[in-house]
Amino acid sequence: MTSDLNIVALVSIGQHPKSGRARRAEQDARAVELGMRLAGDNVQVLHAGDAAEETLRQYAGMGLKSLRVLQQSPQADAVVALGDYLAEHRADVVLTGVRAESGESSGMAPYLLAEKLGWPLVTRIADIVSIENGEAQILQALPRGQRRAIQVRLPFVASVDMAAQVARQSAFGPGRRAELESLPWVETPDSERAQFKEAPARKRPKRLKKVKATTAAERFKAATAKSQGTGGRIIKDQPPTEQAQAIFDLLLEEGVLR
Amino acid sequence: MSDLIRRDPRAEWIARNRLHPLHAAMTAPAGEVRGPSGLLRKNPHGVGFIGPNGIKRIDRSGGSNAAAGGRRGAAKSAQAVELPLHVVEAPDFYVVTVLDLVGGRLGSHDKDVLGQAHKLVNGLEGNGAVLAVVFGECKEEGFGLAGVDRLLHLEGSEYEGYSPEQRLAALVEVERRFTPRYWLFPDSINGGNELGCRLAARLGERPATQAWQVDTQQTLCRGAGGSSDITRATPRLLLLAEECAEPVDERRHEALAVELDSIAPSLVRIRDCGQVAVDPNAIPLAEAEFILSAGNGIRDWDQFHQAAELLGATEGASRVVVDDGFMPRPRQVGASGTWVTARVYLAVGISGAIQHMQGIGQCDKVVAINLDAGCDMVKRADLSVIGDSQAVLAHLIELAREYRHGAAENAA
Amino acid sequence: MILDWLLPVLISAALVLALAGAIKRVNLWRAGQPDSVNLIAGLMAMPRRYLVDLHHVVERDKYMSNTHVATAGGFVLSMLLIVLVHLFGLESRWLAWALLASSVLMFTGAVFVFRRRLNPPSRLSKGPWMRLPKSLLMFSASFFILTLPAAGILPEDFGGWVLALILLVGVAWGLSELVFGMTWGGPMKHAFAGALHLAFHRRPERFNGGRSTGLKPVDLQARVLGVEKPTDFKWNQLLGFDACVQCGKCEAMCPAFAAGQPLNPKKLIQDMVIGLAGGSDAKFAGSPYPGVELGHAVGGPGQTITEGLVNPDTLWSCTTCRACVEECPMMIEHVDAIVDMRRFLTMEKGNTPNKGAEVLENLIATDNPNGFDPGGRMNWAADQNLPLMSDVKEADVLFWVSDGAFDMRSQRILRAFVKVLKAAGVDFAVLGDEERDSGDVARRLGDDATFQSLAKRNIAVLNKYRFKRIVTTDPHAFHVLKNEYGDLGGHYEVLHHTTFINELVQLGRLQLDTFKGGTVTYHDPCYLGRYNGEYDSPRDLLKALGIELAEMERSGFRSRCCGGGGGAPITDIPGEHRIADMRMEDARAVGAELVAVGCQQCTAMLEGVVEPRPQIKDIAELVSEALIEGAPAARAAVAEEVLS
Ligand SMILES: Cc1cc2nc3c(=O)[nH]c(=O)nc-3n(C[C@H](O)[C@H](O)[C@H](O)COP(=O)(O)OP(=O)(O)OC[C@H]3O[C@@H](n4cnc5c(N)ncnc54)[C@H](O)[C@@H]3O)c2cc1C
Ligand code: SF4
Ligand code: SF4
Repeated sequence: MTSDLNIVALVSIGQHPKSGRARRAEQDARAVELGMRLAGDNVQVLHAGDAAEETLRQYAGMGLKSLRVLQQSPQADAVVALGDYLAEHRADVVLTGVRAESGESSGMAPYLLAEKLGWPLVTRIADIVSIENGEAQILQALPRGQRRAIQVRLPFVASVDMAAQVARQSAFGPGRRAELESLPWVETPDSERAQFKEAPARKRPKRLKKVKATTAAERFKAATAKSQGTGGRIIKDQPPTEQAQAIFDLLLEEGVLR
Repeated sequence: MSDLIRRDPRAEWIARNRLHPLHAAMTAPAGEVRGPSGLLRKNPHGVGFIGPNGIKRIDRSGGSNAAAGGRRGAAKSAQAVELPLHVVEAPDFYVVTVLDLVGGRLGSHDKDVLGQAHKLVNGLEGNGAVLAVVFGECKEEGFGLAGVDRLLHLEGSEYEGYSPEQRLAALVEVERRFTPRYWLFPDSINGGNELGCRLAARLGERPATQAWQVDTQQTLCRGAGGSSDITRATPRLLLLAEECAEPVDERRHEALAVELDSIAPSLVRIRDCGQVAVDPNAIPLAEAEFILSAGNGIRDWDQFHQAAELLGATEGASRVVVDDGFMPRPRQVGASGTWVTARVYLAVGISGAIQHMQGIGQCDKVVAINLDAGCDMVKRADLSVIGDSQAVLAHLIELAREYRHGAAENAA
Repeated sequence: MILDWLLPVLISAALVLALAGAIKRVNLWRAGQPDSVNLIAGLMAMPRRYLVDLHHVVERDKYMSNTHVATAGGFVLSMLLIVLVHLFGLESRWLAWALLASSVLMFTGAVFVFRRRLNPPSRLSKGPWMRLPKSLLMFSASFFILTLPAAGILPEDFGGWVLALILLVGVAWGLSELVFGMTWGGPMKHAFAGALHLAFHRRPERFNGGRSTGLKPVDLQARVLGVEKPTDFKWNQLLGFDACVQCGKCEAMCPAFAAGQPLNPKKLIQDMVIGLAGGSDAKFAGSPYPGVELGHAVGGPGQTITEGLVNPDTLWSCTTCRACVEECPMMIEHVDAIVDMRRFLTMEKGNTPNKGAEVLENLIATDNPNGFDPGGRMNWAADQNLPLMSDVKEADVLFWVSDGAFDMRSQRILRAFVKVLKAAGVDFAVLGDEERDSGDVARRLGDDATFQSLAKRNIAVLNKYRFKRIVTTDPHAFHVLKNEYGDLGGHYEVLHHTTFINELVQLGRLQLDTFKGGTVTYHDPCYLGRYNGEYDSPRDLLKALGIELAEMERSGFRSRCCGGGGGAPITDIPGEHRIADMRMEDARAVGAELVAVGCQQCTAMLEGVVEPRPQIKDIAELVSEALIEGAPAARAAVAEEVLS
């Protein structure tokens, strides 16, 4: 594919869902992967934040020679900085993740950037099949492994879905050697976020199936049906027709037959 | 359809078996009917069911008094209670909900969003109306029951398929016309999230996303990929998590149609070239929603592949059958294969070794077909069938055939 | 006569050529990286290493051992005497007689070499190696006859021209094979390189009955991490490769080779030789890597090994079981070399196959290979009421739980061991959520950066507390804690649970019932046996349970790996069979109904074999089942602990 394309992948600091430890974000890493497959190591990887953040080296370890960091303090609004940078340094394709793994994690970044740049935004892409004559053929990820073909003119912003090719392994050596180019950049404080209060997620009670029971027997059944679910039903010593029917009923009930 | 009484042995069996999961559904009380005056009428003939020996049985517990024994073609019992109608004459303000309408029908997420909309309306001064905006094909008739006061249905070729730019243009017009107090979207992958974010970016609103506890003052939403809770002042535009509020269920709403004068067609820069046909077997295992998985207990491989095709399932495999060369390596499920997230995982002849189980930890429903009732797969399964895989698959294939056939006839 | 002047010329020519060859060869080795070895001490120790340590390994094969003593001893002696008698022309009957005797000795040895070569097993290389016995015979016979006149048995000018010519051919052949062939790359290279390899061995601790099995740490600041090109090896590693005699003992023991995975340790070492000298494997005369055709591998000192010489799959097939190292008469270190090259693939290329990348990422982000919540390490013991080090600060025994904490099957072993500890009234504590993966898998997968990070953090935690010893049920953690944390500053007394339980039994702190059940065999975990020499405690324990073991053919130091080491189940390189299945065959062959093991990884691997098969149980489980609880001895011990 044309390697003189100017592809920018935006990366953030991710967070492991179990340990909460900083890591390369899975979707952002997929964006870098996609960029590298389109443009080799010409892909420009951009982060707004702190160049001293060691986690950035996990992106660099994918084989990047350098990574550009718009130096920002944690209170700053990274999207503003990125938008200003991209408005100045013209790109053909800007790739982001769908949602950040830490912070507000609202998924607004690609929308705000596209809005600011006035470019089309294609969401949740699985792949960029080709870019020819200033037009990209894109596969968008739909639920359950389905795909939609999309055509869009350059330049555009795209958010990369988990359905995209998984990011290549990050190697320690190149990660350590890569240059983290720190650019001092104007900061816009994110005053609204300062009002937010963040706390570890509370467990949300799962909604009980509300049974508007009219008889005691129904109430009894509603109460017992729950515990029954944990054990699992076993159908033994019945003709295979009945057994197959039971399975089939479950498939219908789950709506997986289409 | 005729009015002939047909016996349905399976339905009868279910009617007898009070522990069957479909029992309640099959035995909807048909014995009681509300007469024209609103009085309860008992139909003594509707009570009970025909037992296996042909004798009528009556179950006084009240749970299984279905007319299931003999299914009557068109004779449906009238819907019981009529809920009170809620009327909003001249709304002081609007709360707009933009619904996903997956498959042309309201989903549970949509209904939760409508429930939330009413919670907000109730929390505000004045006479508010919930306006629902839906796009494209619509088969839903229950908007009123779900809490829609006003309905804006936008249809036409420009809204078909993936048309975020046109839809956004419409929403901007709604903003101009109704200046909603709140904008509510389901935070879903079925379009709600995307439209909500697009509109937020256009209007310069900072939306609350994955919001799950909302009132007019404060909003609690998930952050950090679901691992934190953010408390903030409720913004004007919200993307709501599933089960954010109870759906409306105690009154009917008008669902009055409204229209927009004109919406300028937007410049289409993103062209939808249609959905790509994806063969269930080409879907990456990790994304598949329904997996038919083969283990060492499969003898007839042609039959297995046929079953997968007819059921429309993605094929999976245990390591042993991959090692033995019956299935390709990328199909392997488990510790050294793929970790799957299917909604239904149907394991045929798989014993459930720990390495295999690791791979299906995130599956919703596991179904096992196995000869050995004591194996670990059966212990894990939600439904297990103890028997020979070949025989059970043969009947499953039959059922799937009939089902497909039936579907084809219905469509015709 | 012509021989009088030609013979010295030939001998000196051979010697000069040998010297030239030696210089060339030494320069090839010197292209490697510097390593600190004590050259003088090494050279001084060399004869002993050769005669004692090496002989110790060779002696496992009596036939070859005697043959080698005769041939090699005869040759070295003959060569010395030849120089004296035929080069310097010392006229001494005694010397001549001695030379006659030594050449007879050598000839006899050579006859046995010849016989072994008549119908050689597949592990032996053919090609030039088939020529060697003939060269040996030729050399010894020629010099025998040539020396007869000097010994005064035959007249000075017997035989005449024809014989002289024949002898000349024989001498020339013999000298070229045995003298300068030694340094120009013929089969006899092993003598020259082998002797120096013994002198400059990278693990001198292995001599004099010692053991050195821990991997060496990587300098993370180095220009390249791991070995990319042959010249990235240490110089004495290169020298070691050259010492290989292509005896194929390693090949015969390698589980990956037997399973049809694309690895053959002998071929790998020969490929390293090709790498250091340059060339292709077209002339390699042994078994290839299973499923890989010969003749396509090319390499040179400055070329990336994994691009053309060795396929990465070969490196990833290894289970790091050390069976090859244990068996190698030249004491070559295959595992070091394999891990060195893996380090390059992982830390420079980011190319760890299959689940490798995921496992490493998990280790980095969660300190355990499966990405579980690191805060859930103690969930398995919710009902066990285990003392935590962070609470008690001090205990006799620190029980290192390992990642088995996250695995349901392994938890049964852990619970069994806890039951034993409690029954014996041991004062122990665990680290709980402060424990991390030991780093074993990361290191074997070539990610030394992650290993070092895990190890350093573990050491920091361990150093906060006071304890006498660490005990663990996981031989991999055992090995790493015991042998590999030292380089990073963590020195501890570490015991495997079988050793520790055995001690308790010997001390009478546990009362055991006799085992009731069928035939039992014991599978030696590589990281307990070959890595740490613990073969006896598990067996003693089983004996204490009244079990008479049905030993498998491959047991003790010749035990075959279960296939679970070195991250092999993670990289999962396909072969024709699965190693665990082969191991289960070994167990079936002795009619075992139960395989006793001392490792959760072995348990997982062997239980992965399709049923019906023998049962698998960890020794901790067997002991805990046989515990007579509340027995007087145990109660006394508890009381004692409580009082003290
Ligand atoms: C390190 C390691 C990694 C592994 N990784 C994986 C992995 O990723 N994925 C994986 O699957 N395995 C893995 N394994 C292998 C695993 O341990 C088991 O060996 C394997 O899953 C067993 O496959 P199975 O259930 O198909 O076969 P079996 O264990 O042989 O089970 C066959 C089952 O079929 C039933 N059966 C037989 N005939 C019939 C019939 N006619 N009708 C109905 N039922 C019948 C039997 O009752 C039995 O339960 C791994 C093993 C190891 C050691
Ligand atoms: S360590 Fe084991 S698997 Fe690796 S090469 Fe040696 S014998 Fe083969
Ligand atoms: S590496 Fe050792 S065991 Fe293997 S062939 Fe060479 S000398 Fe023999």
